[in-house]
Amino acid sequence: MTIDRPTTLPPSWAESLLRLILTPEDRDSVSGDLLEEYRESIVPSLGGTANRWYVRHVARYVLSATWAWAVVVGAICLWRYLLDTLAPIHYTAGVIALRSAVMSWTLMATFFGCGAWHAWRTGHLRAGVLLTLIAAAMGGYLGMAGTLVSLSISHGPEIMAAIEGSGGLFEGFPGVPLLLLIVAFISGTPGALAGRAAAAIYGWSRPNTKSA
Amino acid sequence: MADALGAFEQAVLITIIRLGDEAYGRGILKDVQARLDRDVAPGAVHATLDRLEKKRLLSSKLGSGTPVRAGRPRRYYRLTAAGVHALNDAREAVENIWRGLKWPLVKARSMA
Repeated sequence: MTIDRPTTLPPSWAESLLRLILTPEDRDSVSGDLLEEYRESIVPSLGGTANRWYVRHVARYVLSATWAWAVVVGAICLWRYLLDTLAPIHYTAGVIALRSAVMSWTLMATFFGCGAWHAWRTGHLRAGVLLTLIAAAMGGYLGMAGTLVSLSISHGPEIMAAIEGSGGLFEGFPGVPLLLLIVAFISGTPGALAGRAAAAIYGWSRPNTKSA
Repeated sequence: MADALGAFEQAVLITIIRLGDEAYGRGILKDVQARLDRDVAPGAVHATLDRLEKKRLLSSKLGSGTPVRAGRPRRYYRLTAAGVHALNDAREAVENIWRGLKWPLVKARSMA
């Protein structure tokens, strides 16, 4: 097999994404392992669908880097839904309720932490921002799924009234997940900047058990 | 005694012993796939190697690259003394569990 044929190159965007989200210690060795497997085993056996295999495995690396953050985001969204339906309050226009403030600040802190962690871990500002956005999107979907499950279990008139009182069902579905992306970008970017700065200044103290 | 090793962690550690000086990411992946007789995701192997290294059961060093890897280096793994100890503990635990039973098991009388 001629290894330099263009057909044996995985999608460049997927390879760039993989290298972006890996730690500096793993960047070459892990992406090299995947490239070697792709060229030596997958292309000969799968042929034209080898690129799909590569993208699927890159997605797994992205998922493993973001799932914990996404679960936190989804749990915050679900917690707010449960609070609003099981212990409803009267929302006044123009007044920020304590639970709204707590949710917003908790989400912003989570996104800041996600951006900082990934920028520090990878040494890339872009990785911090991108992985925060992915975690926000996944968390939004998890929150929506949790809300749907809760709604399917309990959807009596008092629950529906409580949902209406807190902004309505439609605010929760297209609204909150989209809003999460904006909040994730606004909070994750400074987090990523902080993480990148920490990697530059204190990079030497990164808990690294791997030798070069 | 170290934390109990999972079955997949044991498979990875034993593969590293088997492969000796050739124990690097993809080599470990292929061997584990062959021995477990199932498809294993590269990410699962890398995550396990990372976790075992953080537990100080493995150590690693970078080797040279090859053309098929676009010149990217391989990371070679070997067991530390703690890794050998953990594997011995795992084996001993399994033998203690099985002691007194013949293998393979025959259908239990109550289920017959």
